[in-house]
Amino acid sequence: MVDHRGSPGISDDFIHKASQILPADTCLPLGMNAGRSLFEAPTVSCSHCQAMVIINPLRNRERGYCSGCDRYICDNCTEIRSLNGGQCKTFRQLADEIVEAALKAESIKEI
Amino acid sequence: MGKRIASYTTLTPTATADTTNLVDSTYPVAFQGGNATQRWNIVEVYLGGQAGASTPSIMLLSFDSQVGTGSLTADAALTDVVNDGSAGLLATVVKVFNKAATNKPQRDVARHLANLSFNAFGGVVRLNWPLDQQFVAVGNAASFGEMSLSAFTGGTTGLQGTHVIYEPF
Repeated sequence: MVDHRGSPGISDDFIHKASQILPADTCLPLGMNAGRSLFEAPTVSCSHCQAMVIINPLRNRERGYCSGCDRYICDNCTEIRSLNGGQCKTFRQLADEIVEAALKAESIKEI
Repeated sequence: MGKRIASYTTLTPTATADTTNLVDSTYPVAFQGGNATQRWNIVEVYLGGQAGASTPSIMLLSFDSQVGTGSLTADAALTDVVNDGSAGLLATVVKVFNKAATNKPQRDVARHLANLSFNAFGGVVRLNWPLDQQFVAVGNAASFGEMSLSAFTGGTTGLQGTHVIYEPF
């Protein structure tokens, strides 16, 4: 939720500028006065990298989806997935690997 | 194991580029795991504008590619309290800080989690997520063991207050 009802808000130009630097699907949508009023929208966290994706109600393009984990993914991860032959690696799997590696390292120290 | 609330009363953050040291007390808050295996979830992020003039700001919640080291401490205005006083307390606590004595945190250029652009002249941003959508961080090393909330370059930062609700495990 972004509330600019009591504020001058942010212009579409500013949002556009931010979307040139940051992933566009994480920025407020353009063309619907989202930065000037009360904007509420559902979001999803990309299953692969966890980036927050704002569900843009005006989006026409297909939304990124991974059939491996049955979750929405962000545009960047959609591109990566198409380049690596559709491999799926969720952030939760990555987190488990980090924990396992840390536990292994601890047990080696004990030996 | 019981949600906690990290809150910064009022601060004008300094806009800082990715992979650049976040200077002490110029960013609202950073979180680092208490050990190499600790996990925590981000439940809610709130930013409330307090500026007296128009200041469009780009605030980012992001993983850090360089984690803070040395003594990690917090300004007096940065508090970290348990949400429910009767909740069980963990022996290992997530470090909540905005000052690092040795290495300063650096925002990861490729791992921004949420873009909280808003006008700090009266604007409000509030993000929260259901359990299966919450951001998860793990451990205390780069790049997934530390998260920071900080200002990105390109805007005009203004006075703001913030709170982040998180749940350590």
